[in-house]
Amino acid sequence: MKRVEVRLNLEVVAPLLDLMKEASDALKSRLAVRAHVPGSDADFVNNWKQELLEGQTDDIQVLLALFDVDFFATGVIALDTENGEAVLRACSALRLRIREAHLKPLGDESLESGEVPLDEMPEEQRKAFAAYVFLATLQELIVEHLDPTEPEG
Amino acid sequence: MSGTKAQQLWRVVVLNDPVNLMSYVVMLFKLLFGFDEKTARRHMLEVHERGRSVIWIGNREQAEAHAYSLQRWHMKTVLEPDETR
Repeated sequence: MKRVEVRLNLEVVAPLLDLMKEASDALKSRLAVRAHVPGSDADFVNNWKQELLEGQTDDIQVLLALFDVDFFATGVIALDTENGEAVLRACSALRLRIREAHLKPLGDESLESGEVPLDEMPEEQRKAFAAYVFLATLQELIVEHLDPTEPEG
Repeated sequence: MSGTKAQQLWRVVVLNDPVNLMSYVVMLFKLLFGFDEKTARRHMLEVHERGRSVIWIGNREQAEAHAYSLQRWHMKTVLEPDETR
């Protein structure tokens, strides 16, 4: 099993966890992306959405579990081929929610390029942007080192 | 003349979103559809530049399964009847 240990700066990452938790709480009852469900049968539509929501909740739990007591003692999180896909999806869900809740006024072009006026941003929005970038970095690490489409060597 | 009606085919269409990373989308297309790197990248760029890409065409049941999988990865996905044939 491939495994990557990432040492994070506790002073930088710990303050972002509250924001990630806030996004996680908001996603307990709603999907990060509105689901377009084919068909008009109400039971089918409800089951489809409910299963997506349960998967989303499970994935986010896997991500948040990385930041446990051990993380606060060592600053290290461990990513591997078992948790990698769930963490990838959870990062995507939280980034979508954080953008929706905090970063929309910045505009998508600025967000994509990373060229945002950090000095002019309110503290809460600056923290949201940092969490948004942090989650993208986690995704890039997983895609680069634990790509599930690459055979394990 | 055969009286058999051709089976309706469905398109799985991925729509652009401003959040998901290009590398994430390429990996996902490879993972879910078995695309090679070049094909996955072409679809990703089509989504990014044109706002949508038809990722797969086939029967309704499989199209639904693909749409569900893509939505599980937080991709904006719709099904459309394939009117091209």
